[in-house]
Amino acid sequence: MRSILLIAKKDFKQVVTSPLFFVICAFCTIVWTIMYRVFLQQFASQSMMSMMQGSQAGQSLMNTVFMQHISVVNLVLIFTLPALMMRLISEEKKLHTYDLLLTSPVSSTDIAVGKFLAGFGIATVLLFVSFLYPAFTRILADFNWSTLFVLYFGIWLLTALYSAVGLFASSFTESALLSLFIGVVFNLLIWFAGQSGAGSDIQWVASVSNYISVGQHLVHFLKGMIKISSLVFFVSSTAFFVFLSQRVVESSRWR
Amino acid sequence: MADTSNIIEIRELTKNYGDRRAIDHLSFNVKKGEVVGFLGPNGAGKTTTMKIVTGFIAPTTGEVKIAGYDVFEDPYEVKRRIGYLPETPPVYGDMIVADYLDFVARLKGVESSRVPGLVARALEKTQLTDVRKRLIQNLSKGYRQRVGLAQAIVSDPEILILDEPTVGLDPRQVAEIRRLLQELRGSHTIVLSTHILSEVQATCDRAIIINGGRIVAEDTLTGLTNRLRGNSQIHIRVRRNASDLAQALERVSGVTEVEMSGMQIRVQGHLSDDLIEKISEAAVQQRAGLLEMTQPDAGLENIFIELTSQH
Repeated sequence: MRSILLIAKKDFKQVVTSPLFFVICAFCTIVWTIMYRVFLQQFASQSMMSMMQGSQAGQSLMNTVFMQHISVVNLVLIFTLPALMMRLISEEKKLHTYDLLLTSPVSSTDIAVGKFLAGFGIATVLLFVSFLYPAFTRILADFNWSTLFVLYFGIWLLTALYSAVGLFASSFTESALLSLFIGVVFNLLIWFAGQSGAGSDIQWVASVSNYISVGQHLVHFLKGMIKISSLVFFVSSTAFFVFLSQRVVESSRWR
Repeated sequence: MADTSNIIEIRELTKNYGDRRAIDHLSFNVKKGEVVGFLGPNGAGKTTTMKIVTGFIAPTTGEVKIAGYDVFEDPYEVKRRIGYLPETPPVYGDMIVADYLDFVARLKGVESSRVPGLVARALEKTQLTDVRKRLIQNLSKGYRQRVGLAQAIVSDPEILILDEPTVGLDPRQVAEIRRLLQELRGSHTIVLSTHILSEVQATCDRAIIINGGRIVAEDTLTGLTNRLRGNSQIHIRVRRNASDLAQALERVSGVTEVEMSGMQIRVQGHLSDDLIEKISEAAVQQRAGLLEMTQPDAGLENIFIELTSQH
């Protein structure tokens, strides 16, 4: 446990203080700020319209602005998280510091889990930045905090999955660029995996697709529901990719 | 537990990379406190052997025991006892020297209370105290190598395994690293891999010479030097009477061959201090006017070339 935290702390500090992290943070805030403003304006003009038409039922912030914001956040994270994760293992291989880790009294599991925690921590920092937008909307409008928290809890679980995928991509290769590419491709696959079979006529294909569809799970969180099946899905798929990374780390001892 | 005086025991170690055999049934022991030079040309299997001993990679067959612990059954016990400096120092460029050493000490399982003391000691021994607050990436190659060495000694391990620690350093830095090795001698068992012979001559008690993945010689330095000396040559240059001296030398017991060209004589035989004395006596008796008497092949260099060119 001590080694896990030691590795996690070192990697977290290294990435968070790197220029790359600042550039990515800047990029994210620029994109999110521009888009969030657009969503708010759309929401305002639509509300105005429905008021003028005399309709009593206004639109909910949650279903419009926050949902649009979350999909932009998700899209940005699909591309930026692998860029932050790419260094975790591939850089160690390139710099030969991997030799140090593997000749120290730590297990492959310590290395994989430690690095995953570092990656997840970094992703959480980025996600926290995106959380500030809906949180400060509270100044302008009233909404239910708990629904927002549940929604963010869902996307937080998703970033854990992205982090694990990024770690796995990084464990393959010495080239950071290649690991970035593999990471993005895997993230996109995860996002689209469930979509392809969702409309299938065959019952079991449709239900499997439904279960592995990240979007379907997020819909529950958006409605303010935390379903056990969704929790199991995110935790197990994250653990699966951390496990794969651990196998790759372990395998280098046997080559 | 096996004989504890052997801190490193290697039995029949073999490693294949695909079809290529990097090391071939390697067996040797290292005693506690010994400084052993692991010599061989590039590609002889030195680095592979060191990587197996440190638990970085697994052998195809064979057994490695460190202080009685098997590298693959008790990897943690073994890794705790070894400080390893690979060919490329394993340093993080974006960390400062002191933080890096702190990290390595903790990674090696040193108790938190002992860490600051050990870091200070490693900094002092490697003379890095002045640069302890600097980023590693801003240091020169020599300093980086020293940081690598500091990381190997920071956990105060029983065994130091150093893979070509002086490669790419300038002569002054090489001298500094050697001085440091002299300092560490006694408190640590040191295995030093190198293809530079003067390094072994300067620091080691014993040399293991490998070539093509096999041990071709294993002896103390004097033992190795004597091995070739046993049947070697002496060059003599005189002022006059060279032919008389050559004839006289042929009669000296122990001399197997005498060859003369002009005023130079090459004497071949089982050289010992007695024989050398007899040769110089003969030169005086013949009033040859001895100008020079040299033993050209006393160096480790020749042994090395001879042993490693047989494959």
